[in-house]
Amino acid sequence: MADHLDSPGLKSPNMDARVDITDVFAFAAQEEEDEFSRTALVLNVNPLTLASAFDPDAIYEVLVDTNADATPDITFKTQFSAVGSNGRQRATVVRAVGADANSRDFSGRVIIKNAPVSFGREERIAEGEDFKFFAGVRSDPFFFDLLGFLAGFKFTGSDFFVDKNVFGTVLEVPNSALGTNPNIGVWSRILIPAKDLETPGTGGLVQIDRMGRPAINTVFNHGADKVTFNTIEPTGDRTTVTTTGKTFLANFEDVLASFGYDGGSAASIAQILLPDILTFNFNNNAGFLNGRKLTDDVIDIELNLVTKGAVTTDGVGPHTDLLDEFPYLGRPHGVVKEDEQD
Amino acid sequence: MAAGVFIPGGVLTSGRVFQASKNKLKFRAVGGLPQGAFPSYASYVIEGTIDLKTHSGVATKNVFAGPPEAMSTIALPGLSRTIRITEVEDSGSVLRVRGVVDDRSQLQNGENPYVDITVDSGRETASSSFMNSEVSLKLE
Repeated sequence: MADHLDSPGLKSPNMDARVDITDVFAFAAQEEEDEFSRTALVLNVNPLTLASAFDPDAIYEVLVDTNADATPDITFKTQFSAVGSNGRQRATVVRAVGADANSRDFSGRVIIKNAPVSFGREERIAEGEDFKFFAGVRSDPFFFDLLGFLAGFKFTGSDFFVDKNVFGTVLEVPNSALGTNPNIGVWSRILIPAKDLETPGTGGLVQIDRMGRPAINTVFNHGADKVTFNTIEPTGDRTTVTTTGKTFLANFEDVLASFGYDGGSAASIAQILLPDILTFNFNNNAGFLNGRKLTDDVIDIELNLVTKGAVTTDGVGPHTDLLDEFPYLGRPHGVVKEDEQD
Repeated sequence: MAAGVFIPGGVLTSGRVFQASKNKLKFRAVGGLPQGAFPSYASYVIEGTIDLKTHSGVATKNVFAGPPEAMSTIALPGLSRTIRITEVEDSGSVLRVRGVVDDRSQLQNGENPYVDITVDSGRETASSSFMNSEVSLKLE
């Protein structure tokens, strides 16, 4: 539930798990200790692998803000082919800069072309220029005692996600592809055709889900506000008015105040949480809140923060099936078949 | 007879508990999880059919993604239970039901296979445990 099943009303956005973001990670892809030359950007979707493929009509994006204005300056966009009669699907990735970075289309320079999607146990990796790319079914790296949370914070150390799968995309980039300022902001969004909305619309692509930090929309926002939050851009996070008549920022302050924070502290923390962007210095591998590594216990950090220390841990830790090397995400549970080679 | 009263040893009734046949009642109750300060992430759904004559029946518990006002059909895996009802006590508008989960593979480590469900037709509520925490639900 980092962002799993978060809209509408925690259903997969638009009732379609293919376009439901579960997690976003950004971390230093170190080959040597103290060497910070590459970054891994991970975007996971499809909670509980409810769907069997990526959406060929969608664009899956990882956006990078290089000047702290909450708008993207560099965006990595991935588009998938339809699943062929042979069961195969392929991905193309572009890097968009400037105005193209925030345009709702597949504009940009191709950096990965026709990469195979891995539906089998073994990872099929594509490389182009100085980029590496993976897409396919993987073990869900998120760890959390969901049942303890649902039971009202009565944690027992049982990790609901330990045997679950997701669909992952992993893009490893040279840091030079992230701009010259090492202090960046990272988030993800998924665009789908307006005609594919639950209530079909007209026009081009619309934003159906987005995520920066984990457990923001899932934890802080109620019902229809979750849908709204998924469709706005980070620049609107503090000012957009919700169904309560207050802004998202004010609602966040209210939740924090309910855990005992005074007004000033609640406001300060809410302003850290919004806009919902994962801040990351790519010359530093400290982990969350500096980017997010697959092993970072983000829930413990957030529980502690949000509840003002009343709840410090859910008692579960990182998964042990992660890979030491690209694509880092663990191999999928219960998948024994291998993809046929081309 | 006030609305929402079970007639001891016989039929019932309330707008929220349905008489399926002469001695059979059906109910469905829904509650948000977690309960408390945070918005509900999921919905706890308990449904049952009870034979008041034989004091037996079947109930199910499921947890669906989404809060009660926007519940999905996505059942969270590992949280479904089928309960064989073994005892029924009716007193006024309150029905106290006890049952057991025969299929122990459905249970989490340390989870009690015996289940208590209280259906209060007068208040249009139900209650039962979820992971050893008492949860309040609304009859639908």
